[in-house]
Amino acid sequence: MKLDEMLDEMRDVNLNYLMLAQSMIQLDKTTAVYRLGICQDVADLIEALTPAQILKLAGSGMLVSRFRFDDGVVLNMLTGYTKDRVLAHSHAAILMASQAVEAMA
Amino acid sequence: MSKKSLLTEMRDTQLAIELIELGARPQVLESETTLSRERLLKLYKEVKGVSPPKGMLPFSTDWFLTWLPNVHSSLFINIHRAITRNSDCIGIEAVLKSYRLYQEYLHTNQNEAVLSFTRAWTLVRFFESHMLQTAACRDCGGHFVVHPDDLHNHYVCGLCNMPARAGKTRKAKADAQAAQMAAA
Repeated sequence: MKLDEMLDEMRDVNLNYLMLAQSMIQLDKTTAVYRLGICQDVADLIEALTPAQILKLAGSGMLVSRFRFDDGVVLNMLTGYTKDRVLAHSHAAILMASQAVEAMA
Repeated sequence: MSKKSLLTEMRDTQLAIELIELGARPQVLESETTLSRERLLKLYKEVKGVSPPKGMLPFSTDWFLTWLPNVHSSLFINIHRAITRNSDCIGIEAVLKSYRLYQEYLHTNQNEAVLSFTRAWTLVRFFESHMLQTAACRDCGGHFVVHPDDLHNHYVCGLCNMPARAGKTRKAKADAQAAQMAAA
């Protein structure tokens, strides 16, 4: 992949992400806060972004969304689950939800 | 008697309808709305078409500690916490939203509901009165529902350390047999 292509794709992902986040927040802020794993202040900021601001933010050469499993142990455990797919999902959901709590504390 | 506001009454009726649709029992409605018992009963019959179940609500904390209910109630309480801590949604509204998210999770994973709305509401009340709390698992770091009087220094959750007979119910066995028959 060439550098230009990569930058383009990153901008697309950013745009998609920001626009999706914005419409999620507009629809139901409380639910969006949980799903996006952000706090209400950030949600308010994203909601108030104008299209021009979103474009600027999207083209900054960095991804605006971050990988939520930054703990290698947890990631290994979740991908290496062999027993039951449904249980793996439950486990992942519990960890994701409690992680959002810790980010605020 | 104080005069009731029509607006509050309307809001309460709407809330009550929503709760009844989710399967809340009359005791939940009574404590979360200001509507009278007779009105709630009438409303319940109109929405559901049947009389509400009678008897007391389940009051034991032990149910939440058995394996499968523990997984589901831990998920629910984590959702509820994330919502109440990260946004200004509180009270019954937060319970409602968390339960909707829990239902949606079940739906996307084609999982069966273990926690009913009344149970979820009871769980939140148990947490408020410190009859239950969460402990962090030593292996995965997730927060799980536990009894406050137990020791949790080396707590390992039911998903990291699955009990040998976990999930091996009569129904699971029947399902497996049916799948085998279909394959043969």
